[in-house]
Amino acid sequence: MIVLDNVSKSFDGGQSYALCDVSLTIEEGETFVLLGSSGSGKTTILRLISRLIEPTAGQITLDGRDLNDCGVIELRRNMGYVFQGIGLFPHMTVGQNVAIGLRLIGWPLPKREARARELLDLVGLESDAYFAHFPNELSGGQQQRVAVARALATDPDYLLMDEPFGALDALTRETLQKEVLRLKASLGKTIVFVTHDILEAFILGDRIGVCNKGRLDQVGTRRELLKTPKTDFVRALLARPLEQLETFQDLK
Amino acid sequence: MSALEHFLSVVEQNGSELWLRIGQHIMLTGVSTLAAIAIGIPLGIFAEKRAWAERPVLATVGILQTVPSLAMLALLLTLIGQIGAVPAIIALTLYALLPIVRNTVTGLRGIAPSIVEAARGVGMTPAQKLSLVEMPLALPVIVAGVRTAAVVGVGIATLSAFIGAGGLGQFINRGLALTNTDLILLGAIPSALLALAVDGSIAAFQWGIETRRRARDLPRIWTTRIATALPAFILVVGAIAYWSTSSGLPAAMQGSTRGGQETLRIGAKNFSESEVLGEMIAQLIEAKTDLRVDRRFGFGGTMIVHRALIEGEIDLYVEYTGTALTTIIGAKTITDPNRVLAYVRKVYAERFHLIWLKPFKINNTYALAVTSENARSRGWATISGLVADAGGLRAGFTPEFSQRPDGYPGLRKAYGLSFGQVFDLDAALMYRAVAGGEVDVVSAYATDGRIDAYNLILLEDDRHAFPPYFAAPVVREAILKAYPELRTVLAPLTDLLDDKTMRALNWQVYGEKKSPRTVAREFLRARISWLPATRLNDGHAFATGSSATRVRSAVSQRRRQ
Repeated sequence: MIVLDNVSKSFDGGQSYALCDVSLTIEEGETFVLLGSSGSGKTTILRLISRLIEPTAGQITLDGRDLNDCGVIELRRNMGYVFQGIGLFPHMTVGQNVAIGLRLIGWPLPKREARARELLDLVGLESDAYFAHFPNELSGGQQQRVAVARALATDPDYLLMDEPFGALDALTRETLQKEVLRLKASLGKTIVFVTHDILEAFILGDRIGVCNKGRLDQVGTRRELLKTPKTDFVRALLARPLEQLETFQDLK
Repeated sequence: MSALEHFLSVVEQNGSELWLRIGQHIMLTGVSTLAAIAIGIPLGIFAEKRAWAERPVLATVGILQTVPSLAMLALLLTLIGQIGAVPAIIALTLYALLPIVRNTVTGLRGIAPSIVEAARGVGMTPAQKLSLVEMPLALPVIVAGVRTAAVVGVGIATLSAFIGAGGLGQFINRGLALTNTDLILLGAIPSALLALAVDGSIAAFQWGIETRRRARDLPRIWTTRIATALPAFILVVGAIAYWSTSSGLPAAMQGSTRGGQETLRIGAKNFSESEVLGEMIAQLIEAKTDLRVDRRFGFGGTMIVHRALIEGEIDLYVEYTGTALTTIIGAKTITDPNRVLAYVRKVYAERFHLIWLKPFKINNTYALAVTSENARSRGWATISGLVADAGGLRAGFTPEFSQRPDGYPGLRKAYGLSFGQVFDLDAALMYRAVAGGEVDVVSAYATDGRIDAYNLILLEDDRHAFPPYFAAPVVREAILKAYPELRTVLAPLTDLLDDKTMRALNWQVYGEKKSPRTVAREFLRARISWLPATRLNDGHAFATGSSATRVRSAVSQRRRQ
């Protein structure tokens, strides 16, 4: 369980806030989607959770422990992170990329290779075909699968995914979303998923938090959001897909 | 004979020394480049990680780069107080730092921020992030910096010969001093080829590491392995060349310090007369004692060779009384030869524990030279006779002559002489310039072989402005105490030499392109009847004759004690 308690983050010494007084509880085993446009602070929340940055104010606890009391290296190794823009290491093969987390915690080579193959198969990449490839030889969708496999390698309790499918075409994105649902069902991880895509949020999220200009406007299931939007922003945001749908119906 | 054939024959004649010089050159460049890598990469990492350090670090290594090479060598010589490979390697290392440090910073900075964040995000410690992600990704850029450093290093290493570090510069240095193009090319061509080889090998290394990041098939992995091993291969070849020759060649060619006093180390400055005289001394010692001689020729300046003598890097070399008086002691000009010698002797013994042996009858003083046509047509015979015309004359002086108190400044004082224009000219160009009419008068050395060759006339120094420059062996006191027979061994040279003879000998080197060793050998063999020819042909054969035997038994007796 991850709890954010009145967390704020400023990058310019308090002149402006990327994140302003956010409180949030992410439950064990749920998939929590942070939804918002760019600059809304959703990625900041993810980076705070993995302590890539430190909060300006407020407290974050992980399973009841203050995040500052968890060693930062340990903490990150226990959180699979899928980065915006993939973040695979270009000088390492697919196999080495997937196994990097295991290498850091000192697994012997044969064991981590076996685990990397297992994970590649799990994310739907034939391990025999791709193991020795370098990332730049793979398509965007394949690279993203590798990134997911890397995040899962150490069997972390938490999976942080930062717009992982943002740069992919619609078809590939849909396939990978299904993969995430499948993994979620089979692995039972707590997933924090950042996206700006409302449909993606609705497909994946058990609960959704809507970010707007550094504040968290509303947290709830998709049903709650649709039925009782708390702010005008949330209402307008959720109305947009329906408007788009209507535009298409006009064309018929 | 074509130019190439001619060059090949030069290479053939100097084969074993060439091999040694290449070895030394690779060692100088290799060791300094490795040292620069060991210092520069951590320094670059430090500068990149600590924002406040970047500017000062890059500025410092940048400034080092701008110090002229010879000035850097001279400076290090003063700081370290030692000649040879150590100051040379330090200088080369300092030069190599800039490209390596700068490329390390650039390489690290060029890594996409998303990759760096990913490295942190997967839980790497700062050290792991550096070694597993940042360094591998910055490596191509860093290697490019090393490549620049190594290639530049091969070039700068040619200057190390000036401070006795050897290398291919030794040929160039010697060739410049003797204006012998063959020798210059013998140093310049291999060093250019070496620069190409170093450049190519590191390029292959770059290709190897880049390709290995993409290739998965076995054959290419092997070619990339070979490619990445090439720089190491060059280093190994250099080491083999260095070690194989430095133990097998005569001591004369060794750059390393040799312990024990059964070897006498003879120094010489980098011009033909100094080398010819050094050779004569060396060959007499070899012939008449069973001491071995280590020839350390080609020192690039009076202070450098003097320092080498004081520090015990060499045991003996030929100096000129006037040079010792003005350059080393810094005393005012004295013109009486006997007073100069007495004064120099006294100061040297007290201050440096160095002994002046009996001078040769060679006075290589400064002189003013003009063409014989001008001397005839304008009636110049003495320097006084030149004073009236001086305002309209162009003079070509070596930079040293222009500056030294006993050079042009002394001349102005003594004669009230002031030339219309004064050009700084290299000694090698000076004579040609006056012969070609580009200048009217030049500073000359009285024993220079080119005076006769260019048909020049030396003007008489009728007011004795120039101090005497009599040549004499200067030896360390301790050495003379251990080998008092050196006085007797070298005594014959006193009567054999005079200015005219010396000019002829110098011309054999300068004009006839004979090596100082050959010139010295032929001269000694012609003039000293008892000198056995075989002994001089082969530096290792034993001397015969009663005097040699006597000396030898004296030496071995002393060694037993």
